[in-house]
Amino acid sequence: MEQFKKKNLIYQILPLVSVSALILSWIAFSLATGGIIFPGPASVVRRILKTFETPIAGMTIIGHTLISLKRVLTGLFISCVSGISIGILVGSNRYLKATLGSFLEIFRPIPPIAWIPIMIMWFGIGELPKILLIVLGSFFPVMLNTASGISLVNKINLDVGQIFGGSKISILKEIVLPTALPSIFSGIRTSVSCGWTVVLAAEMMGAQQGLGLLVMKGWGINDMALVLGAVIIIAFIGAMFSYLLKRAERLLMPWNR
Amino acid sequence: MEQIKTKKVEVRNLSKIFFQKNSSFEVVKDVSFDVYDGEFLVLLGPGRCGKTVLLNMLIGTETRTSGEIHINGAESGKPSPAMSMVFQKKALLPFKTVMENVELGLKFQKIEKEQRRKICQKYIDLVGLHGFENSYPHELSGGMQQRAGIARAYAVSPDILIMDEPFGALDAQTRYQMEEELLQIWEKERKTIIFVTNNIEEAVYLADRIILLSSCPAHVKAVFPIELPKPRDLFDPEFLRIREQIETQTDLSL
Amino acid sequence: MEIKGNDLEKLRLDHKKIENRNIFKFRILTVMTIIIFFGLWQFVADQGIVDSRTLPSPAKIYETFLAKLTKKAPDGNLLSANILASLQVSLFGFFSAVIIGVPLGLLMGWYKILDKTLTPIFEIIRPIPPIAWIPIVVVWMGVGLSAKVLIIFFSAFVPCVINSYTGIQLTNKTFINVSQTFGASNFTTFIKVGIPSSLPMVMTGIKIALGNSWSTLVAAEMLAASAGLGFMIQMGRQFARADVVVLGMVLIGVLGAILSFLFSSLEKYLLRWK
Repeated sequence: MEQFKKKNLIYQILPLVSVSALILSWIAFSLATGGIIFPGPASVVRRILKTFETPIAGMTIIGHTLISLKRVLTGLFISCVSGISIGILVGSNRYLKATLGSFLEIFRPIPPIAWIPIMIMWFGIGELPKILLIVLGSFFPVMLNTASGISLVNKINLDVGQIFGGSKISILKEIVLPTALPSIFSGIRTSVSCGWTVVLAAEMMGAQQGLGLLVMKGWGINDMALVLGAVIIIAFIGAMFSYLLKRAERLLMPWNR
Repeated sequence: MEQIKTKKVEVRNLSKIFFQKNSSFEVVKDVSFDVYDGEFLVLLGPGRCGKTVLLNMLIGTETRTSGEIHINGAESGKPSPAMSMVFQKKALLPFKTVMENVELGLKFQKIEKEQRRKICQKYIDLVGLHGFENSYPHELSGGMQQRAGIARAYAVSPDILIMDEPFGALDAQTRYQMEEELLQIWEKERKTIIFVTNNIEEAVYLADRIILLSSCPAHVKAVFPIELPKPRDLFDPEFLRIREQIETQTDLSL
Repeated sequence: MEIKGNDLEKLRLDHKKIENRNIFKFRILTVMTIIIFFGLWQFVADQGIVDSRTLPSPAKIYETFLAKLTKKAPDGNLLSANILASLQVSLFGFFSAVIIGVPLGLLMGWYKILDKTLTPIFEIIRPIPPIAWIPIVVVWMGVGLSAKVLIIFFSAFVPCVINSYTGIQLTNKTFINVSQTFGASNFTTFIKVGIPSSLPMVMTGIKIALGNSWSTLVAAEMLAASAGLGFMIQMGRQFARADVVVLGMVLIGVLGAILSFLFSSLEKYLLRWK
């Protein structure tokens, strides 16, 4: 019992020890490399705080964050709506699967980031190409997971729907979609992280605002504290996204544990 | 005691063959029988072969290779509100609560929420699930899940209820209890029931009439009217005699 | 009416015919869709409905493909050199991530002391998108091979660790108990029970890692490289050579599809007991 308690205490302390070790090695690394190419935590924090007051490229960090968020959320919204509806169509109809599905399959192997140059050639560096890129990067996970989720429905549950007199639409709504929901949701989770990566890439390769631009600005003027600061904010927002999605999942699917 | 019985269901020369790439597999062979109004008919058959397919053809979720099915005198091919079904496996929707599962059929019929809740509550109470309306299926025991399945089938007030080995997965104790309760509900509601089982005791306990099916392909082997009064005593000599008599004709291999 | 003999044979053949016709029909539809897509694309480009300088036709891209086999313009490398450079970087990064990430994830999932020590660090690093590492790594290491390999490594490392970690934690407790009842040590149980049962999850992780490393590669080559398909695309854009850009995209897509096909075959082979 005594030993058990001791072990538990160690397990509680260990995470603290390792996180402090991480921060210490960050400091050590930055000192060893002279502090310029890899600034320590203190200067990064100072740099982040400064971005709240001193505008970069015409706006503070809040403005850049909001711009990136707006882009990614718009793109994700379009992806979710079109991905779920096309996923339903392709997953439930063999003709559409052979036509629409194969057509989309042509584009799937091309990584979204590879689209950036041609998008810039076609549409410049405005909002449209960025949102298109986010859609390209986040559409497939939702669509494919919806289609495969729909095919997971047990025949017996479809029979239940028919026997109790459900129309095609109401069987879809009451039986098929709820069955596919966990799968759709895991598609959305992938989409969100892909979308967030793509918006960053798009902003790094041509933008006038956004967090990706901050990274590039910092890189361009050798302000590595700004680069690290922007990366930390990007990572934090990414983590927030996945936390919120986990919460939403529990709320939407109470039967899943 | 002769009385004119109305035919509810007429099955004529029903067959089902499944085809695979280079083979065919006959599961139902030339089955004919009638079901009368208000009757508790048991289809007794061994193994896993044919019975479920037969029921699925009856209710209209499986196509037939040949034969005819008449429900209330009319040719039937697809699911109709006249019939509903209780399944052998977990056929409750896992993402719906007991209440939502039971009201599914009425929801499909576009009956208003308040009214359908009232109807469903009645059947939930009837099967003894009062207080579990908002539970999810995985929170219930096997027996309770089957009760919910029965309530769901009754809630649409069908003419004919089809039950596919509904108590097959339950332990013996629960099974006896459920059989007894099913009979009580049947007495109260007086629906025509077509009940499939592979358990002879269960068949003799419940049935007005037993149709004995053979295994693979299923076809009608013998018909036994059971005229003992209900509820029946499992140890009554007459009960045991009938049971024995059916047993000798069955190829229930265990 | 009983069905037998000739009737049965006839029914079976009818059934087979319908089945075959169905399979054939959907295959034809798929092929037609793809042909129509490329046909329309060619038509649109030929008719000048869109400017061929922004959307080159499939024929033009094929021409560029042939030309790039022997000419270095506009990016300064032969196509083969670009492809080799890309494959080298991505496979190098990918394999090092698998070799380090999978064992690490498995150990983290099995030994609680490692779990408590390493998982917090991992959770901090995990949300950083791989391409955000590009500037940091490049400033530190330059644009050489090792910098790019490291960036790819980051992108492939995360899914390897997560899936191995989750996979081994999902090991059936009964198997572990059985193994230990028969006197196996914790380490033996880890090797004989934990690892095999986590294999499907591990394979999925590696597959995600492969996809990630291929798409991160493109970003790394666009931002910091002097060769590779991503670099070729970027140069194509700078010289306004849409044909080179699209050719690069097509090749990246085709190679990515081939890699993932090869891996799926390997996976099928390794998990054939399932």
